[in-house]
Amino acid sequence: MTNTDKPIANASIVLREEFDDWAILFDPDTGKAFGINPVSVFIWKHLDGTNTIDDILRELRINCDNVPEAAKNHIEEFIQDLVDRGYAEYNLAPA
Amino acid sequence: MKVMNSPRSVELAITNQCNLRCRYCSHFSSAGDVDRDLPTDEWLSFFEELNFCRIMNVTLQGGEPFYRDDLPELIEGIVRNRMRFSILSNGTLIDDKIAAFLTATGRCDGVQVSIDGSTASTHDANRGKGSFQQAIAGIECLRKNGVNVSVRVTIHKQNVRDIEAIAKLLLDDLRIPNFSTNAASYMGLCRANAEMVQLTVEERSFAMESMLRLRTKYNGRVNATAGPLYEAECWLRMEKARRARSDGFSEAGYLTACRGFLSQLAIRADGVIVPCIQMPHVELGRINRDDFGMVWRDHPELNRLRERRAVPLSEFEFCQGCEYINYCTGGCPALAYTLTGVDFHPSPDACLKRFLEAGGKLPEEKILDGAKY
Repeated sequence: MTNTDKPIANASIVLREEFDDWAILFDPDTGKAFGINPVSVFIWKHLDGTNTIDDILRELRINCDNVPEAAKNHIEEFIQDLVDRGYAEYNLAPA
Repeated sequence: MKVMNSPRSVELAITNQCNLRCRYCSHFSSAGDVDRDLPTDEWLSFFEELNFCRIMNVTLQGGEPFYRDDLPELIEGIVRNRMRFSILSNGTLIDDKIAAFLTATGRCDGVQVSIDGSTASTHDANRGKGSFQQAIAGIECLRKNGVNVSVRVTIHKQNVRDIEAIAKLLLDDLRIPNFSTNAASYMGLCRANAEMVQLTVEERSFAMESMLRLRTKYNGRVNATAGPLYEAECWLRMEKARRARSDGFSEAGYLTACRGFLSQLAIRADGVIVPCIQMPHVELGRINRDDFGMVWRDHPELNRLRERRAVPLSEFEFCQGCEYINYCTGGCPALAYTLTGVDFHPSPDACLKRFLEAGGKLPEEKILDGAKY
């Protein structure tokens, strides 16, 4: 992963925003699902292959209050977790 | 009441047709027994809306789902729209080709096949000649092709003394991982055949004890969310709590038995949206005409049914003087409706007090205590 890589969500994964403060990501190919919080939903919605992690962090700071200093690390960890699960991948920047 | 933006799962009666006419079928002669099936394209359009609503799972039922020639096309539509599916079937129309197709989709959670006897004579008594051999062949076909198979046994007058042999057939001989049970309930065709198929109080008492023993013997591989086994567990705990004068159970004392109105919706074979496949008389709208998400979130009738959970049992004349009231959740709303004509009422079928007054006997508590599951 580099600063120019742009993560993109797997289109077959379903984001279910069940309540204002609770959502799940569901993989219909495995039947597995896991819960995510509103910040994770915000990040997921920006995984369209056009945003770098810095872009997402900037949008997060614009739209949310009290974003912690370590937010970039948290975003990277969350996205890496999604990549490991097969829920997202990196749209590599052209060499 | 806080409600999800959309239900997680939807039950789909994809056809009103069936090759069998089981005497206790809950579908035929109910309000869900409609005069037409939706064409393929209507279902496919609706699956796109279900995708939009982020539905995770659908359960295909009927009638008999395998009766539809376009079943593969419908399933492809479900897969295309990011859902998983399961199927409820009598098992008699399943062949290698369709079983292999189900596996190839990668989205089939399983097929539930009804087996009601250890032999053809018991099974066929209410389902029709030849159906046992066909259903067993259907199960073998599914398993050979790698489809997850579950079995549902409906307990009735003709098989209540056959339960142990049924368990042996399914768990020992066929090596099915587990099976679930219920009972012929006062819905659909069972209403006209009640005396012929429904358990007497004595038979129900026998079924509760023998099924509880089987559950222990097979280490939890026999289970239930309705019928004699479920009642045995619930009612024994209620009796134990009453004797000990324990505090009431969580959510008990109100009409809280069913959480279905908070998690799923159902569609009749003619496309009418209903709260539950067992409550086909409550029409909430029509697919491809009404907004499915809005029906789920805002329909006054559905919200009224959700409010059922706030209705105390103490409000009902039926429950006055009952010592079990703080341990009771009122039973199935659909059965309450078919038995009393109103859904805002406890189900008489789920009433322990009434069962005991009619001469019913609970199993020995030590059987429940000895259950390993």
